[in-house]
Amino acid sequence: MRQADRIAAVLLLALAAGYGAVAIRDYAYWDANGPGSGFLPVWLAAALTGLGGLLLVSAVRARDPGPAPVPRGHGAVRLGAVLAATVALVALLPVLGMATGTALFLAVLLRGLERHSWPVTLGVAVGTATVNWAVFTWWLRVPFPTGVLGF
Amino acid sequence: MDLLHNLALGFSIALTPFNVLMAMVGVTMGTLIGALPGVGPASGVALLLPLTFGMSPTSGIIMLSALYAGSMYGGTITSVLINTPGESASVVTCLDGHQMALRGRAGPALGMAAIGSFLAGSVGVVLLMGMAPLLARWALSFGPPETFALMLLGLTTVTGLTGDHAVKGYISMVLGLMLSMIGIDIVSGDARYTAGLPDMLDGVDFLPVAIGLFGMGEVLVGAEQATRAEILHGRYGLRDVLPSAADWVRSRLAIVRGTIIGFLVGVLPGAGPTIASFLAYTVEKKLSRHPEEFGQGAIEGVAAPESANNAGSAGALVPMLTLGIPGSATTAVMMGGLMMWGLRPGPLLFEKNPDFVWGLIASLYLANVMLLVLNVAFIPVFVRALRVPYGILMPLIIVFCVTGAYSLNNRVWDVGQMLVFGVLGYAMKKLDYSPAALTLALVLGPLAERALRQSLIISDVGILILLQRPIAATLTALALAAVAVPVARAVWRVTVRRPAAA
Repeated sequence: MRQADRIAAVLLLALAAGYGAVAIRDYAYWDANGPGSGFLPVWLAAALTGLGGLLLVSAVRARDPGPAPVPRGHGAVRLGAVLAATVALVALLPVLGMATGTALFLAVLLRGLERHSWPVTLGVAVGTATVNWAVFTWWLRVPFPTGVLGF
Repeated sequence: MDLLHNLALGFSIALTPFNVLMAMVGVTMGTLIGALPGVGPASGVALLLPLTFGMSPTSGIIMLSALYAGSMYGGTITSVLINTPGESASVVTCLDGHQMALRGRAGPALGMAAIGSFLAGSVGVVLLMGMAPLLARWALSFGPPETFALMLLGLTTVTGLTGDHAVKGYISMVLGLMLSMIGIDIVSGDARYTAGLPDMLDGVDFLPVAIGLFGMGEVLVGAEQATRAEILHGRYGLRDVLPSAADWVRSRLAIVRGTIIGFLVGVLPGAGPTIASFLAYTVEKKLSRHPEEFGQGAIEGVAAPESANNAGSAGALVPMLTLGIPGSATTAVMMGGLMMWGLRPGPLLFEKNPDFVWGLIASLYLANVMLLVLNVAFIPVFVRALRVPYGILMPLIIVFCVTGAYSLNNRVWDVGQMLVFGVLGYAMKKLDYSPAALTLALVLGPLAERALRQSLIISDVGILILLQRPIAATLTALALAAVAVPVARAVWRVTVRRPAAA
């Protein structure tokens, strides 16, 4: 946690500097009517700088490294698999379509990661994709992406 | 007479077949969401928000507030049976509820929790009905300085009370405010922080952020483990869950005290049902003639916090509806929903949308009756739902996150945003930041900025206008105190205690 706090503090300070610089460069701090569009962003950047500094100092001075926030071993593999499958689903949504995409996503995770039997995997994947499709397209009139297979 | 007239109007709206159905869907989903570990009420409201797009705002809020009330009931089932709270407001119920279950008294624990929740929830709605219109009338006199000071107070108290690390809470709040600046500035017309992307001109949409931070973020935290919880076996028929006369005698005052504490704490911006439940438990233990039994299966240790969290969830609606300041993470998500439906939470809501407000209040009475029946007569059904492995639930929640985010504007862009905020929500949870503070700041940011700029435009003394008017000055002083105390403690820890310890 100590190491993660140090990294987070540096990233937050960099974000504050960039955010503040853009506010000063591109937006008016004060104009003829009063506070401009850059007024609050400048103060927010200042506040984040102060808070990020406080976090950095406390993380540098901390003696106890604390628990590691990043999972290792099996936990990391599971997290990576879920995240990768979700990124793939989002990226391929326009190609696969919502119904096919979600059915494949569920099948991959239920069978590949959770080791459920094929009947459970197919039942949950196809059932969920169908109900989801019916609720959103028929009831809520949401035009889901259809993809190459048409649904 | 006005009150009765308004309540009659509310019931005429709440009792239409579609709204009764929505309340039923809300309480059932809420009880399930509360019962399932890893899905909190804020995630539940965020995930179900897209389903409300096809209905009127009144039906939408009826479903979501029924879900909120249901999640308070449902959280108890998991706390008692598997010693893992379904949501944060039921954490303290684990202490005595699970001990009762280990001694074969899971039924009375669940029954007393349901009955206490019903009584407290119903009284909470009565108090909401009495207090909210008065508060709304008072808030009508607010000008921009009072409005800004109130939002500042809401932001700082919510942030100060969430999580153990105050500095990280305030960082989360500032990040939320920074995100809320993205898009077209309505005063000057400047496009701020859009990186030249047309999709960013409308700003960061609230729904993908809420679904990402709460739904996806919680799923990613849960995805690390492949554990299956052990559920205690027992009998949960109607006779098994009804408490005995002795249980009643021991619990009756705990329910009364829990209700009062819960509602009052719930009304405070930032406190919410979780803190209410802890406070009610602590008070009950202090007042008890046999405090040594607390933690060993004392039924008052279940009755008090469960009453408090239900009264607290009714109380948390008061600042949201009357002042436009959410009292908890869940009400922050609900308030985002209200704004998406085109409503402006705040004092004018009672005048401009009486059917919405009174329909909601009447539906809460209805929801509490439904929840009592569900949680006394249908406990075995929810116990069966708990047996669904998290390995099946987790990918299903992700699918709901994806479709929910997509349905906002029918754009894959919003799904991408949801995913980015899901990863951010995961990181925030792991590193003790506060997704609730970020969400609240994102919702309140544009309103607070407008009120601040209007205040400065009408002011001859700059920012000191916040200290010139009595209400604004009081609210500003409270907000500054809410920031100063935890930050001063953090500075003291860094500068004084550490070198002294060295």
